[in-house]
Amino acid sequence: MNRTRVDWVAVRTIVGRDIRAVRRSKAITLPMILVPTVLLILLPMAIGVLARNAPTSQVENALGSSLVQGIAQPILSLPERERLVVLVLGYLLSPLLLVIPLMVSAVLAADAFAGEKERRTLEVVLHLPISDRDLFLAKVLTALLPAVAITWLGSALYAVVCNVVAWPVMHRVFVPFAQFGVVVVWLAPAVALLALGLLVIVSSRARTTQEANQLGGAVILPLIFVAAAQSSALMLLPPLGVTAVGFVVWALALALLWFNSRRFTRDRLAAAG
Amino acid sequence: MTAAIRTEGLTRGFRSGLAVDGLTFELEAGQVLALLGPNGAGKTTTVRLLDGVLLPHAGRSLVLGLDPAVDGDAIRRRTGVLTENAGLDDRLTSRENLLYVARLRGFTRSAATRRVDELLERFGMADRRDDLTGGFSTGQRKRVALARALLHDPELLFLDEPTSGLDPAGTRDVIALIDQLAAEGRTVVLATHFLGEAGRLADRMAVLHKGRLRAFGAPDELAAQLWSGVGAELDFGAAADAATVAALADVPGVRSVHPHGDGARLVLDDREVLPRAVAAAVGRGLAVYGAATRRPTLEDVYFAIERRIAEEEGEIATDGFTARLAEVAS
Repeated sequence: MNRTRVDWVAVRTIVGRDIRAVRRSKAITLPMILVPTVLLILLPMAIGVLARNAPTSQVENALGSSLVQGIAQPILSLPERERLVVLVLGYLLSPLLLVIPLMVSAVLAADAFAGEKERRTLEVVLHLPISDRDLFLAKVLTALLPAVAITWLGSALYAVVCNVVAWPVMHRVFVPFAQFGVVVVWLAPAVALLALGLLVIVSSRARTTQEANQLGGAVILPLIFVAAAQSSALMLLPPLGVTAVGFVVWALALALLWFNSRRFTRDRLAAAG
Repeated sequence: MTAAIRTEGLTRGFRSGLAVDGLTFELEAGQVLALLGPNGAGKTTTVRLLDGVLLPHAGRSLVLGLDPAVDGDAIRRRTGVLTENAGLDDRLTSRENLLYVARLRGFTRSAATRRVDELLERFGMADRRDDLTGGFSTGQRKRVALARALLHDPELLFLDEPTSGLDPAGTRDVIALIDQLAAEGRTVVLATHFLGEAGRLADRMAVLHKGRLRAFGAPDELAAQLWSGVGAELDFGAAADAATVAALADVPGVRSVHPHGDGARLVLDDREVLPRAVAAAVGRGLAVYGAATRRPTLEDVYFAIERRIAEEEGEIATDGFTARLAEVAS
C-alpha cells in the first residue's frame, strides 16, 4: 500500500462501471430486488394484516410468551388493539432489514473479483495504472453503496407498508420510531461494511462467482443468523444503546477492512487467478 | 540505444513450482521481441512481472528505466497490454469498455470520448460502438481490445496472441499495425504461437521452456549458432536422384545435399557456391527451374531450439504431431 492520495476519479470510474454492469445483469439484480421485496414489503403486509385482525385472546397469548416478556412493558402501555401490530411490525419484523445489507453485500462482493476473473476482465484491470489501495476501495464501495441504498429504500417502503397496513388499527404513523431510525441509518451500513471486510478477500481468492458465493455463504450465514436472532433484542435497547452497538460494529468493520486492505495486493490477486 | 527492458535473474514461483526461473535478457527501445515457447513456458508470467502485476521472488528488472516492483503504476501508465483473451465486459458496449479504461488512464471525459471514437473508427468498429460486446465475434473483440491497448499511445506494448481468432485480412491488418508501431519507435513484446507472424516482425526472439530462457537473440544470430553455412534450394521439377545428389555433393563448397520435393536442399559454404552447383546440375542435363539461397526462418530456428531442448531434457519435442509420429514410428 502506498501513501499517496486516493485517486477519486479512478475510484469513481470503477464504481460507476461496475454498478452499470451489475444493473444489466439479471442474475445479480434479481436477488437484490426479490429478497428485500419479500422481507420488507410482502412479509410485513401479510403478517400485518393477520396481526391487525387477530382476536384479543391471541394478543394476550402472544404477549404472555417468554420471547415477548422483556418487551411487553412498553407495549402494554399501548391501547389493547394496537399491541400485537406494534409487537410484530415494530419489534419482531423490522430488525430483519439487517439481513438486506448482508445479502446485497454478499452478492456484489462475489461479483467484484471472482466475477471479473470469470469474465476474464480482471487481467485488464491489473494492467491499469491504479494503485492496489484504490482498487480495493473501489471494489468495497461498489458493493457498499448499493447495499446501503437498497437497505434505505427498502426501509422506507417497509415503513410505508407498516403504516398503511396498520392504519385501521393505529390511526397514526408508528414506523419509523427512534430505534428503527438508528438501526437503518447508523447500524445497517456498518453491518454491510463488516460483511464486505470478509467477503472482498474471499472474492479475490475465489476463481469463480459460484466459488465466491459458496465460500462467502459460509462466512455470511452465521452473520445473518446473528443478525436475525439478536436484532429483536436490539430494538429493546434505548436509542443510545443501539447507537453504541453501531459504534462497536463500525469499529469491527473498519478494523477488519484495514487489516484486509493491507493483505490485498495485485500480486496476490494475480497469483490466485 | 537505451534498454527498454533489462532483466537479471528474474524469478517467480507459484505453489505449482517456478513459472519464471532466472530470466536474464536485454531489449533495446524500438525493438520487437517475439516471446516464444509452449503453453506453460512462462510467457504470461514474464509479461506480468515486467508490467509490475506480479512481484519477483528473486532477481530484478528495469522497464523503461523503472523497477516494476516499485514503480508499477508509473510503468503501467507507459505500457499497453493486449491480453490473450480480449478481456471485454460483455455487459458493456465497446465504447463503454474503452471509456472506462481511458478514464482510468487519466483522460478527461471529453478527451476520452474523442480518443475512443477516433480509435473505434480506426479499427473499423465505429458502427458497433453502442453495441454490447457480448455479441461480438472473436475478431471484433480483438479489434476493440487492440484499440484499448493503444488508447494512451504507449511506449511499450505487450501483445499476447494478437492475431489469434482473426481472419486472414484481420491478421494482415494487425501485422501491418505492429510493423507500423515498431517503425514509430515503440518497443513491442509479442507473445505468440504463430511463428510466421513472429518471423515477419521480430528483431529478437526469446525461447522460454519451463520458465527458463533457453535462447535469446536475433533470429539470424541464433540460426548461425545452430547451423553453419548457407541453405539453398534447387528446383528440378522432381526430387533429385542419387546420381544428381552425388554430383552436387562433389561441387567444391557444397557441404551437404538432400533430395527434397521438387529438387534438392543444399548447405553451402557461402552463396558464391550456388552458381557452381547450378552449373553442375545443368552439366548433367537437368532443367533447373529455380535456384535460391534460403535463410532459416524464425520457425526453423524455434523448432531447432525446441528439438535441442527436448534432447537435453529427454522429452518429446513440442513441434506437434510430427515429432510424436516420428517417435511412434521409430
